[in-house]
Amino acid sequence: MRKSVSYYVEKYRPIIILVVFMIAISIMRPEFLQPSNLSNVLRQTSVNAIIAAGMSFAILTGGIDISVGSTLAFSGAVSAYMVLNNYNIIVVILVTLTIGVIAGAMNGLFITKFKLQPFIVTLATMTIFRGMTTVFTQGRPISFKSEGTGIMYRFIGKESLFGIPIPIIIMVVVYILGYYLLNHTSFGRYIYAIGCNEDAAHLSGINTKKVKFMAYVINGCLAALAAIIVTARLSSAQPTAGDGYELDAIAAVVLGGTSLAGGRGKITGTIIGAMIIGMLSNALNLMDVSSYYQTIIKGLVILVAVLLDREK
Amino acid sequence: MSECVLQMKKVTKEFPGVKALSDVDFNIYKGECMALIGENGAGKSTLMKVLSGVYPKYEGEIVFRGKKVAFDTPRQANEAGIAIIHQELNMISYMKIYENIFLGREIKTKFGKLDKKAMVQKAKELMDEMEIDLDPNEEVCNLSLAKQQMVEIAKALSMNADIIVMDEPTDALPESDVKNLFRIINGLRGKDIGVVYISHKLGEVFEICDRITVLRDGQFIAENKVEELDEDALIKLMVGRTLEEQFPHVEYGESETVFEVKNLSNQYIHDVSFSAKKGEIIGVSGLVGAGRTELAKTIYGAYRAESGQIFLNGKEIKSNSPKEAISNGIYYISEDRKGDGLILDLDIKSNITISCIEKLTKNTIIQKKKELEVCGGYRDKLNIKTPSIHQKIKNLSGGNQQKVAIAKGLITDPQVLLIDEPTRGVDVGAKKEIYDLINLFKMQGKTIILISSEMPEILGMSDKVLVMHEGTIKGEVDRKDATGEVILELIFAKRG
Amino acid sequence: MKKLFSVVLATTLMFAAVGCGSSTTSEAPAADAGASEEVATEEAMTIGLVLPTLTTEFFVTIKETAEAYAAETGLNIVILDSQDDAVKQSSNVEDLITKKVDGILLIPTDSDAVATAVEDLNAAGIPVITLDRSANGGEVLSHIASDNVAGGVMAGEYIVELLGGAGKVVELEGVPGASATRERGEGFNIAMDAAGIEVVARQTANFSKAEGLTVMENILQAQPEIDAVFAHNDEMALGAMEAIDAAGRSGEIKIVGFDASADAVAAVAEGTMAATVAQKPDLMTTTGIETLLQAIAGETVPESVPVELALVAE
Repeated sequence: MRKSVSYYVEKYRPIIILVVFMIAISIMRPEFLQPSNLSNVLRQTSVNAIIAAGMSFAILTGGIDISVGSTLAFSGAVSAYMVLNNYNIIVVILVTLTIGVIAGAMNGLFITKFKLQPFIVTLATMTIFRGMTTVFTQGRPISFKSEGTGIMYRFIGKESLFGIPIPIIIMVVVYILGYYLLNHTSFGRYIYAIGCNEDAAHLSGINTKKVKFMAYVINGCLAALAAIIVTARLSSAQPTAGDGYELDAIAAVVLGGTSLAGGRGKITGTIIGAMIIGMLSNALNLMDVSSYYQTIIKGLVILVAVLLDREK
Repeated sequence: MSECVLQMKKVTKEFPGVKALSDVDFNIYKGECMALIGENGAGKSTLMKVLSGVYPKYEGEIVFRGKKVAFDTPRQANEAGIAIIHQELNMISYMKIYENIFLGREIKTKFGKLDKKAMVQKAKELMDEMEIDLDPNEEVCNLSLAKQQMVEIAKALSMNADIIVMDEPTDALPESDVKNLFRIINGLRGKDIGVVYISHKLGEVFEICDRITVLRDGQFIAENKVEELDEDALIKLMVGRTLEEQFPHVEYGESETVFEVKNLSNQYIHDVSFSAKKGEIIGVSGLVGAGRTELAKTIYGAYRAESGQIFLNGKEIKSNSPKEAISNGIYYISEDRKGDGLILDLDIKSNITISCIEKLTKNTIIQKKKELEVCGGYRDKLNIKTPSIHQKIKNLSGGNQQKVAIAKGLITDPQVLLIDEPTRGVDVGAKKEIYDLINLFKMQGKTIILISSEMPEILGMSDKVLVMHEGTIKGEVDRKDATGEVILELIFAKRG
Repeated sequence: MKKLFSVVLATTLMFAAVGCGSSTTSEAPAADAGASEEVATEEAMTIGLVLPTLTTEFFVTIKETAEAYAAETGLNIVILDSQDDAVKQSSNVEDLITKKVDGILLIPTDSDAVATAVEDLNAAGIPVITLDRSANGGEVLSHIASDNVAGGVMAGEYIVELLGGAGKVVELEGVPGASATRERGEGFNIAMDAAGIEVVARQTANFSKAEGLTVMENILQAQPEIDAVFAHNDEMALGAMEAIDAAGRSGEIKIVGFDASADAVAAVAEGTMAATVAQKPDLMTTTGIETLLQAIAGETVPESVPVELALVAE
């Protein structure tokens, strides 16, 4: 049987939207397609894309994590503090990621062990981590100069390898690993199984608690990785950093065609979703759209994309 | 002869692949109580759903008060005067009695304000009529189940129902409340209301009903006056035919006991003990809610056992989760394919290998080629009819879904297979294939625990039958002694 | 096919919306009097204005002044909002670099975090001038801000005058370490020291009205005798006013704020607040734009330009 056009549209919907979108922008603003601008957009997208990759894991299990923005703020603050005090760069990175892992583990523990709603748990930890950040930073930004560890740390945020900005390289690596985990390992299979039907997954002999726990750990860890990029890029950690990032990440996941009910969706869709959001801000800036309208348009785009996805 | 208030004539209802009802006649008489009797899956609830407009598409006709009717929705049936009181009562717990009675049909004053006084008054009258003493302002959640049921009946009366259908009304009631319910049913009869009484409890049927209609396998078997039957005759009508070739029993021969359950207890089951041999099929029979599935899930580690032991090959095994049970060589195939048996949104391949995927990985990578080969093998062996192994489960027929569920178990190579209602929602042809598969597995020297509500299936397949009721084993019957009558008698032994 | 169509349709609609949005800003100069058009064609210059947020009146005034300036002169001004997010701020700056603007007026979300964005601008050779808040890094041609020290002195001297040279005074400080906090406090204390008036309590309320209320409540508990309150901004002053009102001491305590927000100006007119120091965001904006245009034209500009303040009193 020959597959119809609509089959392919269905299958590749996110990428089709992205391409149509890019063509439309470049017709209106040719400078959009400049390599330097595309590189900018990708770098701007990387932070949200990395958080959204983690968010995909939580959402695919049928959960959600709204604490990622606060996790980012706290781990970023600790990393800036360590850079300021000239700790070894490897130690800084490992400690930062470990903070993300611990934050994710806390969420995972409350969600699996005590069977609480993911939304409620992460709503609580969101405020807790934000409060910890304020206490840790005393409400002030922690900034470091280009000296000692700061030199290398800033390198992560500002420099390029083989002409590609490092945040983009990190993003690509995260997505390759995420793709591999979700599509080629038993862990990935279990994530989908749990998202579709947790009871059936449990009866099939899956340790559902462990798998869900790990999904939140991955999520926390990636939020911390995003924190490294943000902090390195700004040479400074803001106490208010990452505020609202959870919503951008959720929007990216949903735009990529993943169901909030869990079990259905692809991580390749998520990166496209993140790119659509990133390009949208960039395009609206290039087109001189008043900032008052930008947020409205962003919301409309999400609505339209979700509407399109509804028919599935 | 009393007047027939409602007649269902030659009603046939087909679901994809399954004929749930075929040419069923059913009559309800004015001022009489009609019992609707049959085994699980006989078609009782399907017939009632046709009557009440839940299934608007069917063949045959319904004549109500002399006119041909067809209800498209339960609401229409309700408004026409047919009230159904379900096993699970349909009340809003945090609302008051009178609010529940008039829910959706509130009495209003001229100005559109709720006329609370009138509603309370009317509710009180209804309950006085039924001789029940309840305050209409009481919240429903404070009432016992029996009282809630009475409010539900009062609600039916307030709608001037001509027909009241009661589905297993005494299942959850203590003995004293049953008497009270019967008094109310008698009252309904006095008001010329036709009552349909669905129950497994044959004693009650003889006590309260005027006539009995028996269904079996979706077919009308008999309509008799109560006086014309006794309990034995009724059981014969329900169980019906002798075992057909449908269930090809095979002999494994002499073998040793390999699986033993001793004094297993938890909140669902009480002190369950039994043993099983190599190559033996143990049938577990009982009514819905007898604790059969719970027993299987306890053995499988999905429910925690509070006390008791399980032995396999002479060694005690502990399974605190399905994962551990699988590694101990036990697998449970769920009765509820949609609920917890299969993952409908995933494809056939992922479902088959979900319990053993770790065995198909090398350096944490799933070997997709090998996975496809293995699944292809099972597809051929089990004759799963599908254009592709990548097809989603939800696109398969019931029979093929069940085969996937079985493949998913077999692939873990269990020594003990717990299989729960393996042919529910499966068409006749596929049933036979599933029985053959179970027998094949048996001849490999494995032990099978077969839970089924279909009596012929239990009788035809099992080497030994356990009869369960209310979480305990009421008896163990050998194949040669097992008949439907023996089993039903064991089930009803206590109340009879 | 139907779905493909709907995808295309939706995208088109989306851009129709974008188009509408953009036309409102780009048409504004064209709609203006013909005189300015000549200037526009002659210069055809574009500058960027990056604001930290648009949820505060002060920055909205700057935005509106800039828009009015653009409409009058035909200068293209691209205005972007960083939504109080330093990351968004650096994305905005990157987008302006892509647009090849001729110069940028930058109001940082935070003095430290803006440094990398300024460095990017330096690397792209785009002149940058900061407004209101300074940047701790990169090369900024000029910093234009209210003379906060002078404003602090102004407020202090007015209090001295009100109290007749003696009394007990409370100081509500802004976010610790912020330049506004430092400078306004410095100016105020110069005036207090000169008059020999005692500051009996000095606490931070983080520029927030809610905190101004609670902090003042606590101070009122602790200090039986207070003659005046100076708050580093109007939000805190208004919060303190609520607390004083609730304590029934509104007659005896004079309140002086800073910023001349609409609410504070109204309170001064009613007599519930004694005074507020008015920043002049409009003057700051035009000074900024003009200084930037000078810099783009290659003229040397002063490293810092103080913008005068005014006292709004009863």
